[in-house]
Amino acid sequence: MLVDFELVKRAREGDHAAFTQLVQAYRKRILGTIARLIGRPEDVEDVGQEVFLRLHFSLDQLRSEEVFEPWLYRLTVNAAYDYLRRQKRRGETRMADLSEQQVILADAAAGSRAQQEEQRRRQLREAVQALLANVSEQDRILLVLKEIEGLSLKELEKIYRVNENALKVRLFRARQRVLKALAAQGTAARAKGSS
Amino acid sequence: MATFERGQPTDPLEAELDRLFAAYREACPDPEPSLDFMPRLWERIEAQRSWTREWRRLTEVLVGAAVALSLMLGIVLARREPPVSFYTNTYVEVLAANYSQDAPLDPEVLLADQEVSR
Repeated sequence: MLVDFELVKRAREGDHAAFTQLVQAYRKRILGTIARLIGRPEDVEDVGQEVFLRLHFSLDQLRSEEVFEPWLYRLTVNAAYDYLRRQKRRGETRMADLSEQQVILADAAAGSRAQQEEQRRRQLREAVQALLANVSEQDRILLVLKEIEGLSLKELEKIYRVNENALKVRLFRARQRVLKALAAQGTAARAKGSS
Repeated sequence: MATFERGQPTDPLEAELDRLFAAYREACPDPEPSLDFMPRLWERIEAQRSWTREWRRLTEVLVGAAVALSLMLGIVLARREPPVSFYTNTYVEVLAANYSQDAPLDPEVLLADQEVSR
């Protein structure tokens, strides 16, 4: 816990200052998790605001201060899931979907070393997002929380309120699908290189 | 299950995926929140609250109007004149009341009786 239970209790009772402190303590961590879940830096703050907005209006439903963190993570997961579903409906174009020529043009535009570094990071983000696009939004979130955020199965169990074995099976299947996509990517790259 | 309680993955593809995930984690550090993060959040909270307040006020007005209308209708119905006559007695009771022993007999019926006895 980044804060003590007393602060959560005060925020729950409607203390605005306590709620502000709570947000300030968690916002960086939550924004980081959202960034890795949705893979779009430009939308991270909006989704983060949505998480804390939901937190504000649902704090009174919190059973006890001890479950505050899983509760906050659940709100984060739900907000990220809603965002990903909206994106899917809109069918927005991502860098990973652009033609190679367009990506080369974007690369050329990035001149300086810092820009090149940013470019490298962006490409990496796009590559991982493209791999994660092979699983459903729910599985993608679960995989990111486990593999990238490093949450334990016990923590995931508290967030999802699902039996550990069910989570294991789901994670295993999701990872297998991503591995398959990675293998296909490698095959395609090798075929491209030899031609 | 390769994903859990694993040490070093033996499959090169598994190792590649783990490396990619680690690099992704590094490429997406926790972003610094913007300076107006809190003011914007409070603005949104206030906006939502005022919307909820408005909705509650509207609901209260509608519920109040519905209660007032029901009361009015109740009063109007209670004040209405009851129907002129009600037949609450059964046919047999009405017959018995009309031909009780105390009631004077119809003269025509009496004459008819006398004719018969003669």
